[in-house]
Amino acid sequence: MSSDILSFIIFLPALVAFALMITTKDVNTIRNIAFLTTTVILALVLKIYIEFIPSEGMQFVTNVPWIETYGINYYVGLDGFSLTILMMIAILIPTSYLLLWEGRTKGYWLNMLLVQTGVTGTLLSLDIVLFYFFWEVMLLPVFLMIGSYGFGKKIFTTIKVTVYTMAGSLLMFIAILYLGVAYHNEFGVWSFAYNELMKITTIEYSTRVWLFLAFLSAFAIKIPIFPLHTWIMDTYKNAPTGAVFLLSSIMAKLGVYAIVRFMIPIFPEIYIEFSIYFVAIGLFGLVYFGIAALMQDDIKRMFAYSSASHLSFIAAGIFSLNEYGINGALYLTIAHAIATGALFLLVGLIHEETGFKTIKDLGGIAKQAPILTFIFAIMLFANVGLPGTNGFVSELLIIFGIYEFNHTLGYISAITVVVGASYMLWMFQRAILQDRPEGSPVLKMRDLKIKEIIGLTPWVFLVFLMGFYPDIFIDKFEPTVTHYLNDILHIGAAK
Amino acid sequence: MSEFIYLIPAITVLVGALTLMFMSMYEKYTVKNFITVACIFLFIALGFSSLTFTDSYSVQPYNDLLNNVLIFDTFSNFFNILLILGTILTLLIGEHYFQHRSYFKGEFFSILLFALFGMMLLAHVNELVTAYIALEIASFAVYIMVGVNTEDSKRVEAIFKYLVLGAFIGAFYLLGVVLIYGATATTNLSEVGAYIATHSGDDMILVYIGLTLILFTFLFKIAAFPFQSWVLDVYRGAPMVITAYMASTFKIAIFSFFMRAILQNLAPIIDFWDTIISVIIVLTLVFGTWLAVSQTIIKRMLAASSIVHTGYLLLAFIALSYKDGEILNIDSAYATMFYLIAYLLSALGAFGLASHIISETNVRVTYNDFKGLAHERPFLAAMMTIFLLSLAGIPSTIGFIGKFYVFTEAINAGYTALTLLAVIATIVSVYYYFKLIAVMYFYPAPLTCSIEGFNDKRVSTYAIAFVAILTILGGVGSAIVFFIPILNIDSIITLSQTAVQSLFIK
Repeated sequence: MSSDILSFIIFLPALVAFALMITTKDVNTIRNIAFLTTTVILALVLKIYIEFIPSEGMQFVTNVPWIETYGINYYVGLDGFSLTILMMIAILIPTSYLLLWEGRTKGYWLNMLLVQTGVTGTLLSLDIVLFYFFWEVMLLPVFLMIGSYGFGKKIFTTIKVTVYTMAGSLLMFIAILYLGVAYHNEFGVWSFAYNELMKITTIEYSTRVWLFLAFLSAFAIKIPIFPLHTWIMDTYKNAPTGAVFLLSSIMAKLGVYAIVRFMIPIFPEIYIEFSIYFVAIGLFGLVYFGIAALMQDDIKRMFAYSSASHLSFIAAGIFSLNEYGINGALYLTIAHAIATGALFLLVGLIHEETGFKTIKDLGGIAKQAPILTFIFAIMLFANVGLPGTNGFVSELLIIFGIYEFNHTLGYISAITVVVGASYMLWMFQRAILQDRPEGSPVLKMRDLKIKEIIGLTPWVFLVFLMGFYPDIFIDKFEPTVTHYLNDILHIGAAK
Repeated sequence: MSEFIYLIPAITVLVGALTLMFMSMYEKYTVKNFITVACIFLFIALGFSSLTFTDSYSVQPYNDLLNNVLIFDTFSNFFNILLILGTILTLLIGEHYFQHRSYFKGEFFSILLFALFGMMLLAHVNELVTAYIALEIASFAVYIMVGVNTEDSKRVEAIFKYLVLGAFIGAFYLLGVVLIYGATATTNLSEVGAYIATHSGDDMILVYIGLTLILFTFLFKIAAFPFQSWVLDVYRGAPMVITAYMASTFKIAIFSFFMRAILQNLAPIIDFWDTIISVIIVLTLVFGTWLAVSQTIIKRMLAASSIVHTGYLLLAFIALSYKDGEILNIDSAYATMFYLIAYLLSALGAFGLASHIISETNVRVTYNDFKGLAHERPFLAAMMTIFLLSLAGIPSTIGFIGKFYVFTEAINAGYTALTLLAVIATIVSVYYYFKLIAVMYFYPAPLTCSIEGFNDKRVSTYAIAFVAILTILGGVGSAIVFFIPILNIDSIITLSQTAVQSLFIK
């Protein structure tokens, strides 16, 4: 059983969702059982976290044939890197349930469960066709959520986001098939496992570049990396809180994850060669999205840009080719998931309570809801990267990494962080702190309920724990990063 | 007697057709009786076909009587089972529709079985003139079924377009046969194959011209690019269930004959048409996609998208090539067969479900008619979603696995650019399929709901649910979820491999 624990984690939410779909119509029962499911998963993930040995490679592996004719296996397992993200998902989802607790429908919770199956499956697949399978499947519940529970031009938005992301995915699909065929031609057997595809030597350089770009198109759209970001503004604005949370906190991170998991091992030399462009694009994206965020009046759009800005920074770190940068990027992945996740959920709450989502209508919330403001501020500071929070550690690591990679870009990256601070603090001042005259409708805002506070406490705790003791987390995935740098990229871990 | 067992399925269907014809002379039988009788015969035929399902064999029974014009092997048996299954599912899914349209009388079911008989024969034939007869038996039956819809003014246009063009293209076929006969002095495909294997250069000119003319017939029947113009109007004018039947089952029958001819006999010269077919694929994909995007009636959208699916099928077909006495990329033949199964299930499901919904009304089935279906009938909407996802090739459905096979084999054969185009067509197809899903789920139901008030607990619903389950099962395979090795995706591939291998039994 212990080796099947990952399969259990992957499929439990989906099975529960199907069981609930057929058996009951009562929303409260569904929500309670769904919440219970996610906490069971959290417990299992903690068990894995304790049993995990950082110095070894893939663990908890299940590898059984799925489609034998083409050597496609049901191949799941995790290493330090995926474990960290698995932890993040397992913690974020149940607490997000607490913040979404009231006023949802049956379909909402079922989709939340299905998404969890999709994202965990994507995270743990090591066979690239299996990965593609989950990668596409995880989009469908989000599609339904945006269309059913979204705002504004939601139907246009759903179609747009679906076609946009599918376009990237299908380009990756053809690259996957090409790799499989190349492997078949070289070794005479079919395989789509990532560690087998690494061995291919026969593909020409120019073809490899195309394949690299095809893979990147899928991941860059999900992250999003400039200039493939145009879908997120409408989507984040019109989507319901839960879907925005899933897209920004979890799915975008899977794009980053997939770059490290599949693209680096399969195309190491192209990754090294192109890294300078991507670091530059990442930094450009950071500034571009940052300035765009300053201009926004709609608070959700502002967060969409801010999220894109941070993810560009993560992308820059991933491509910086040294241990600082990659460690920092991974660390920021988690830090950002926590901070942005919390901020999106809180903004969603404010929107639902007051009905406002433009910054100029808001304000005066600090007086009405001090606890909300307090937690909002903590997450905001973590996002900005104030010392003592996890954001600080990760941003520092990335800046080091980029400095090591290229001094000029390093200086630039250090300065760009200011942009992030400026729009965040300005927004905070206007939307939360500034006074409003007596009787204005914003003042209806209630404070957090005890359930929501309980939900957010572990996040707040994590923000500081990761900020003060980064080592206990970095130790879990550092060996994996070192392994990548030494054994796959052959450039050595710069210490 | 032992040889007779191979003939039983086809004969059962023929006897069934005749029985239904006699039954239709009496007023007292209802549509339900006809469906039951037809199904009984079909299940008997299916049972006999299944007897030899997994064996690998190839026989030509009653030599002196049939004169080697029919081959009975695993390949034909495989296709027979598909065709019978397709017909049974059409009947069961259409049960609701048949009962609420007064123009479906006894004769209709007799004709349906005649069509099936022609198609089954087509899977067996090894001779060009017999192939023509089988093709025309099936085609004429389908012509009549297209025109049976007396309530729709479009049907006259539909039937005449189809009949005239079909007869026209039939003339091409006959001319092709004559030219081949002129060169080889035979119409038996095995002997034509032997001639091709031993001749080259000037001796072959007539054969090439003849086969190209026959290729036109093939392209017409499967609705590939320059011969696709009939599809929209014919599919539009035909009764919904017949549209489903034509799009899925009839296409399979056409492929069965041409795959046999190509793999068994014509393989050595197959690469001659690669360029033509590449161009046809490009145009088919582009044109089909353009048509599908611009439709507002669901039936026409599905019809137009079937053109795109023809493009995918041809993509697997072109991947076959021949070098030094053996067929390369034989795997793409399996991919074609798998894709045919995938398309059979998803198209039958999608068309069938649309017909089921409108059974008791007379609406045109535009996107608007589907508004809010998910709130009225969540399970029907869920099943429609499954079929659309399968058509779009989204993972967890059989359509994805089908596309996976076809694209892999096309890349394997070196047609990467064409595959890229097919992928782009798929991206666009996501748009028009998801639009329907969006309409079903994200709009409130209209006030005057056209689909309410019928009982869902009936044969049609269960048949559609059955197809939906197959669609999912074919895409996930039970191996991945429950770790049961039996119901595996591989088993379908293995079956199609056995089938194709039986073509080469001498």
